[in-house]
Amino acid sequence: MGFGDLKSAAGLRVLNDFLADRSYIEGYVPSQADIAVFEAVSAPPPADLCHALRWYNHIKSYEKQKASLPGIKKALGKYGPADVEDTTGAGTDSKDDDDIDLFGSDDEEESEEAKKLREERLAQYESKKSKKPAVVAKSSILLDVKPWDDETDMAKLEECVRSIQADGLVWGSSKLVPVGYGIKKLQIQCVVEDDKVGTDMLEERITAFEDYVQSMDVAAFNKI
Amino acid sequence: GVEELVLLEKLLGLPKGSKYGVQGERKVPVLQTNNGPGLTGIMTIAAYLVKQAKKEQLLGSTAEEKAVVQQWLEYRVTQVDGSSSKEDTRVILKDLNTHLEDKVYLAGNIFTLADILMYYGLHHVMVDLTVQEKEKYLNVSRWFNHIQHYPGVRQHLSNVVFIKNRLYTNAH
Repeated sequence: MGFGDLKSAAGLRVLNDFLADRSYIEGYVPSQADIAVFEAVSAPPPADLCHALRWYNHIKSYEKQKASLPGIKKALGKYGPADVEDTTGAGTDSKDDDDIDLFGSDDEEESEEAKKLREERLAQYESKKSKKPAVVAKSSILLDVKPWDDETDMAKLEECVRSIQADGLVWGSSKLVPVGYGIKKLQIQCVVEDDKVGTDMLEERITAFEDYVQSMDVAAFNKI
Repeated sequence: GVEELVLLEKLLGLPKGSKYGVQGERKVPVLQTNNGPGLTGIMTIAAYLVKQAKKEQLLGSTAEEKAVVQQWLEYRVTQVDGSSSKEDTRVILKDLNTHLEDKVYLAGNIFTLADILMYYGLHHVMVDLTVQEKEKYLNVSRWFNHIQHYPGVRQHLSNVVFIKNRLYTNAH
């Protein structure tokens, strides 16, 4: 986490990007998080970093109340986007008094190296924890595939449908449903990844089996 | 119309039980008051409710702030409520997006009635925006997401989702 060096143009750009869709550093009200970052930004950001500038001017308007804003000021490296490396680490902040000392004991002196290593590991653990697995949008579709007549070989029809392969398409169970006059339609389930497979594509490929398939309909469509 | 005024009353902490009606083809809300003729029009009734609740700061403090609040209330009633086509909506979102580039709230740094009524007025628009459109009007999305999280505002209205990781572009 962290923004990198907020006194540099690169750090300000990270801050700007972070604030494009946020009013505050944390949550939806001004807090000590905003004060902590505000104090690290030495001057108003340049006009081309419009989101950082908007935030800066807004937090400035809370200058008089800053002591009473909610929250606790944490080390700068604790704020900001999850995928940015915490470069504030050991050294730049004077004592990191408010960090919870998970591993060390009070009286022992920790060497600089050991402290840096521990903080690096903590930062990595935190950033790993905060990364969520990508959510893939999926849908469960029930298709009705109708044959030409009651003499159509439904087993072959099903074979043809199941032979359709695509990335993001998984066939499920199926059954034959009578529709009248001795004709049965094939009702078959499939699960698709929305980005990769659509009902148009399915329809095209299923109706391509002209010898067996008269038409295809979507009987049910549910987002998973 | 009347529904948002009821939501506003709740947000302001006013007691329930006001009598509302509607007038004319365009269903303009009317509030029955105890002494005198009813009050007509969203802006009028809303401003009256704010004063009833003794929360005048929601109308702005300085003369300029008050004017800006009025400006956006007027915009809401004349532009937003009057809009029907996709093109009208596009113009409104573009206007708001430009205005909100350097502001957290419509009136700048303070939360006002302008934010509340614009939120209620735009809710049905925001609900239908695609992910791409939400990113296109980034400042409106930021402002809308902020207002819907403001205590007491959203109530039973649906939460409009804004995804955190921007998909389409990093350029603004």
